[in-house]
Amino acid sequence: MTLVQRGRWLTGIGLLLLGGVYLRALAFTPVELHQGPAQKIFYVHVPAAWSSMLAMGLVGLASILYLLVRDTRYDRFAAASAEVGTVFACVMLTTGPLWAKPIWGTWWTWDARLTLTLMLFFIFIGYQLLRGAVTDPAVRARSAAVVGICGLVLLPFIHLSVYLFRTLHPQPIVLKPSAPSAPPEMVTTLLLSVGVFSLLYLGFVIQRYALGGAARDD
Amino acid sequence: MTEAIPQNAPYMVAAYVVTAAILVGYAIVLALRTRRSRDS
Repeated sequence: MTLVQRGRWLTGIGLLLLGGVYLRALAFTPVELHQGPAQKIFYVHVPAAWSSMLAMGLVGLASILYLLVRDTRYDRFAAASAEVGTVFACVMLTTGPLWAKPIWGTWWTWDARLTLTLMLFFIFIGYQLLRGAVTDPAVRARSAAVVGICGLVLLPFIHLSVYLFRTLHPQPIVLKPSAPSAPPEMVTTLLLSVGVFSLLYLGFVIQRYALGGAARDD
Repeated sequence: MTEAIPQNAPYMVAAYVVTAAILVGYAIVLALRTRRSRDS
């Protein structure tokens, strides 16, 4: 089985499992009493945020490795991960306001977490624009690696922004030192969704990486 | 006195539809780009 076929299989399985997550979230996970059905946006918003941050983290690590060993496979992987991360960042930035409107009464606010997340999206976009603008492959890979490392540096600030600044954004539910602050059914649905989004990330990245190898012009 | 659950399901439906559209759309785009690169 070729790399692209493996990626397609993983993506197909991921999309089927996403249907299962929808079913579980919508039909078998209780409605939160204070927020109502809009709280269930959490089961797609948080995994999308996780996947986009995972993508940027791996872009940053691959960029460091590229600058250390100058192996173009790291650069190709970083390019693939950045494109897929942009897709998940789009999901995060559209589902977030859809939750915020009924809960906060506004689509957007310039709160620390939201602003830093928007910066992450702009770094993804900037990374793609830079790759498209520079024609020399070595210069392109080196410049893109610098942007990728900037994105990696941003990630801890995004995660800790709810502790460092006064913010409207909810505190972490699972990724925190104490026990998860949600009922077990909700945590299980969230973790399943995170697993499925991670699988989709993997499937997309494998396909995009194989595409970059075939075209050699990513 | 019990508090009424907010009626905001349309926002949830919109979020789930947008998520599926973006993810399935990107999967289709990747498949088409792979086919195009194989043909050329």
